[in-house]
Amino acid sequence: MVDEDTVLQTKNLRKTFISKKKKVEAVRGVDLLVKKGQIYGFLGPNGAGKTTTLRMLTTLLPIDEGEAIVAGYDVKRQPGEVRKHIGYVSQLGGSDDEATGRDDLLLQGQLYGMSLAASKKRASKLIEFLQLSEYADRKVITYSGGQRRRLDIAIGIMHQPDILFLDEPTTGLDPQNRAHMWQQIRILRNSGTTIFLTTHYLEEADILSDYLTIMDHGKIVAEGTPRELKREIAGDAIIIRPKLEGDTVTKIQKLVATKSFVKEARVEGESIHLYVEDGTQALPQIFALLESHKIALDTVSLAEPSLDDVFLKQTGRSLRDGEKNDEEGR
Amino acid sequence: MKLLTDIKLLVKRPFLQEFHNPTWLFVSGSTPIMYLVLFMPLLKRLSSGPGFSTGNVIQLFLPGIIALLAFGTGNFAGFSTIFQLRNGFIERLRVTPASRFALLIGPILSSMAWSLIFSAVIVCLSVPFGFHIHLMGLLVYTLLLITMIILFSSISTSLAILAREISTFAAIVNGINLPLILLGGVMLPLTLAPNWMRFIAHVNPLYYVVEAGRALANGQIGVNAVGVAFAVMLPLTIIVLWWSMRIYSKAVS
Repeated sequence: MVDEDTVLQTKNLRKTFISKKKKVEAVRGVDLLVKKGQIYGFLGPNGAGKTTTLRMLTTLLPIDEGEAIVAGYDVKRQPGEVRKHIGYVSQLGGSDDEATGRDDLLLQGQLYGMSLAASKKRASKLIEFLQLSEYADRKVITYSGGQRRRLDIAIGIMHQPDILFLDEPTTGLDPQNRAHMWQQIRILRNSGTTIFLTTHYLEEADILSDYLTIMDHGKIVAEGTPRELKREIAGDAIIIRPKLEGDTVTKIQKLVATKSFVKEARVEGESIHLYVEDGTQALPQIFALLESHKIALDTVSLAEPSLDDVFLKQTGRSLRDGEKNDEEGR
Repeated sequence: MKLLTDIKLLVKRPFLQEFHNPTWLFVSGSTPIMYLVLFMPLLKRLSSGPGFSTGNVIQLFLPGIIALLAFGTGNFAGFSTIFQLRNGFIERLRVTPASRFALLIGPILSSMAWSLIFSAVIVCLSVPFGFHIHLMGLLVYTLLLITMIILFSSISTSLAILAREISTFAAIVNGINLPLILLGGVMLPLTLAPNWMRFIAHVNPLYYVVEAGRALANGQIGVNAVGVAFAVMLPLTIIVLWWSMRIYSKAVS
């Protein structure tokens, strides 16, 4: 079933929870294939079943149905072997507040059966690699969010795993730290670590993934490289923002929706997003149409499709909305 | 071998952390001393009553306080479990190849070690106030205390995992705390109690330990109470430990 380049493979993976006497199918038949050396992006809104999938793959949750081979071992039959070969950084982190960063790394190394001397050597290397030298001997409780995340990652790769699972690694980080984390993740991949990264941020998935799987309601709705996925959305997106607010947006939406070259028109806040076959051909016609109805425009822009458009096409919803709610809820 | 290394690693970590926490050391160490200083004197006047056959109050009171310390150690163990669930520490450990048993027993053994250290200190401090040390008796009592700490730590850890919410867990633990202490005869022997109280005390494991402890502190190793205490505690602890292991390894979802 597994060739040498494959680090992770699942077939028809399923998980059902019973919650308040109701069956909730969290994961409904997921097939994954992760190749060595990839950053494998796993994108989906909150509640899509990403974390549940991840927890099954990392032996934290029993698999209801289906098969999973991770690092060459069957997750159901050989969880012990799987654990030896994977690294996992959960959303919660997992570093020990009361320990120093270095001591925490030493504990991790030794739990994987490394000697104290080998652990010390590896810890020093990782501290330098993840730029933690300044804080390594301070208690973790004094770390900033970004420093803590870097330590969490160091803990996750202490034993040089075949595959590192990163669950939402940049949630809660500010933009600067997020960019920094992206850089670290890339460096990690370039040094040969295979990374399985779950995220609900579109840009993160777009920028980092070598290969991307999009999940929704427990099922995979699209997969491919981010470029391939976006190319499948034939055509362009035109974003129109009228000068006057209020009714104008819905008026424009109704107007343009009648035109045959417009595949879809959607109101988003104070602007309208149009999906058309060919942007350069559609633009003049739209200008003419709006002028004839005396609608003044503030801005017009032509954009290539994003992963959000991919998600929208597959599910009829925008992932961006979920992202917004997420930010507001925080 | 791997099991022993894992246990050693997982005991050492919290043990040393508490050692480096002076506030914790001071509060934990002073609580039992407060009972001795601020409660025991009240018993002097009662010492002619039933249950005070020896007339030596400290000999009777100290084993109860030591049992209380061990019981508290176990009963409150779940608080750190909740914190470690919250910050992902337990999950992080569960993904490592570390033995599942070591993950559960490590922190229990660490707090057990502290509990026994405090008990030893209190015993020594009590000698000048008239406590007679019967070494063999105290050693046998230590074995009983160990089973009790494992028993209540396992229960508490499992309840913490099941409750998840710190407020729910705190309510449960405090809810069990008081009746068990009062029905254990920790403060005053249940020989003073009405029959119905003595009757329900028999479902309380703490009761057996305290009864045995009072005998053992007097060096009476061969008495009935000691045998009964072991007969109750050993199987109960093993069953609960097994149940806890199941909860622990299924839990964190």
